[in-house]
Amino acid sequence: MSFNERLKKDFSTITLALIPVAIVLNIVVGQITSALKLPIFLDSIGTVLVGVLAGPWAGLVTGLLTNIIWGMITSPVAAAFAPVAGAIGLVAGLCAQSGLFSNWWKALISGVLIGVAASIVAVPIRVYMFGGITGSGADFITAYLLATGRDLFGSVIITVLTSNLPDKVVTALVAWGIIKALPQRFVVSFPRAEATLAAK
Amino acid sequence: MATQVSLYLAGDRFLYRLNPVTKLVVVGCVIMLTFLAPGSWTPWLMFTLLGLLALSNNLARPFFRSLWRIIAPLALFLFVIHGLFSPDGQTILLTVGPLALKQEGLAFAWLMTGRILSVTGVSLLLVFTTPPAALMLALAQHGVPTALTYIMGTTLQIIPQMRARAAAIIAAQQARGLETTGSLPQRVRALRPLITPLVLSSLVDVEERAIALEARAFRANRPKTSLTDLPDPPGERLLRWLGFGLTLLIIGAGWQL
Repeated sequence: MSFNERLKKDFSTITLALIPVAIVLNIVVGQITSALKLPIFLDSIGTVLVGVLAGPWAGLVTGLLTNIIWGMITSPVAAAFAPVAGAIGLVAGLCAQSGLFSNWWKALISGVLIGVAASIVAVPIRVYMFGGITGSGADFITAYLLATGRDLFGSVIITVLTSNLPDKVVTALVAWGIIKALPQRFVVSFPRAEATLAAK
Repeated sequence: MATQVSLYLAGDRFLYRLNPVTKLVVVGCVIMLTFLAPGSWTPWLMFTLLGLLALSNNLARPFFRSLWRIIAPLALFLFVIHGLFSPDGQTILLTVGPLALKQEGLAFAWLMTGRILSVTGVSLLLVFTTPPAALMLALAQHGVPTALTYIMGTTLQIIPQMRARAAAIIAAQQARGLETTGSLPQRVRALRPLITPLVLSSLVDVEERAIALEARAFRANRPKTSLTDLPDPPGERLLRWLGFGLTLLIIGAGWQL
C-alpha cells in the first residue's frame, strides 16, 4: 500500500488513544526508576511499545512528543533530545516489523540495535549543543577519556554507548515481556498486529 | 482538570498577550542566532536581553531560579572538564599539581554555556507565558493536524492521574513487603512488581478512549470549533516575518564581517 495509506492505517484511532498513555508511561516509569536509584533510565518503555504495536512512524511520533512534553513540564533541555527518542521509536518499530520481537533473545538484539541508533543520534546533539557534557555522573567517564588523549567526539561516543546500550537492552526486554503478557484481543486491534502476534 | 503539570505561571504582561505562534517563531530565531551568528559574546548578549525581557514581565525570579537549577551542573562540568582536559588546549593559565587549566577550554566552555543559557532561557519564557491549551489551539489554527494537538493535550491531562496511580501501586506493594531500598539486586527486583501493574492498568484505558473518540467522530475531516478564542492580529503576523528576516540578515551580516 502507498505511504500515505500506510500512515493513515498506522495512526488509527486506537493508536491515537495509545500514544498519550505511552508518553505518560515513559515519564512516570522513568521517575520510578530514578526513585529506585538504578543505573538505568527506562524512560522509553512507552515509545518502544508503540513502535512494536503501531509501527515505526507511530513510535517516532511518540518519542518526539515525549521529549517535547518533558521540555514543557520539567526542563527545556530534554526537548533538545527529541530526535533521540524519535529514533528509538522508529528503530523499535522497524525491528518488530522484521520479526525481532518474537522471542527474548531477538528482543535483546533489538535492544542493542535501538541503543546503537539512539547513540548515533545523541552524540552530535551532545557535542554541538552541550559541548559533550550531561551534568551527570557520566561526565566523569568523558573527562577520563579526554584526559587520556581522545578527542571530544570519540570520548562522547564511548560515554553515550556505555550508558545507552544496557538501558535500551533492558527496555526492549521489558517491552517484550509486557507484550507477551497482553491479551491477544487487545493486540489484534492495533495496526501492526501481525508483527506482535508472532511473539505470542 | 484542576492540577497543573506544565511550567505555566499566570500573569498579564506583554509576553502573555502575544499569540503562541509568535513566541514559537521568537524561540526559533533565538536558536538560529545563538548557533549560527558568530562571536563568542553573542549568546551572552542574547541571554542578557532575555533576562531583561523576563524582568519586564515579572518573571525574573522563576526565570533565573529555573535556569540555575537546570544549567548550574552543566556549566560547572563544562568549565572544569573542558578547562582541564580540552584536546585543543595549548595556552596554560595555571597549574595545580598534575592538572593544567587551559585557556581554549575555558573559552569553549564560555561559548557553550552562553548558548545553552540563551536557548533554555527563551524556551522557559515560552513555557512560562503560554498555557498548553493556548499553544495547542494556536498550532491547530496554523494547520497542525488535530491528531497531534489531541495527543499533546491528552498527555498533559492524564499525567496527574498516572502519577497518582503510580503512587498508589508503590504504596500497595510496599504494604505487601516490597523492598525499594537496599542492595542493587533488591532494587532491580522491585521494578517488575511496580511497573507491570502500572503498564497493564494504563493500557486497559486505551480501548475505552478509542471508543470514546470514535463515538465523537474525531476522525471526521471537519474543522473543529473551539470554546476559547485566540486572536492572531495581522500586526503580529507581520512581526513574525520581519523577525525571521532580521535574524537571517544578522546571521548573514555577521558572517560577512
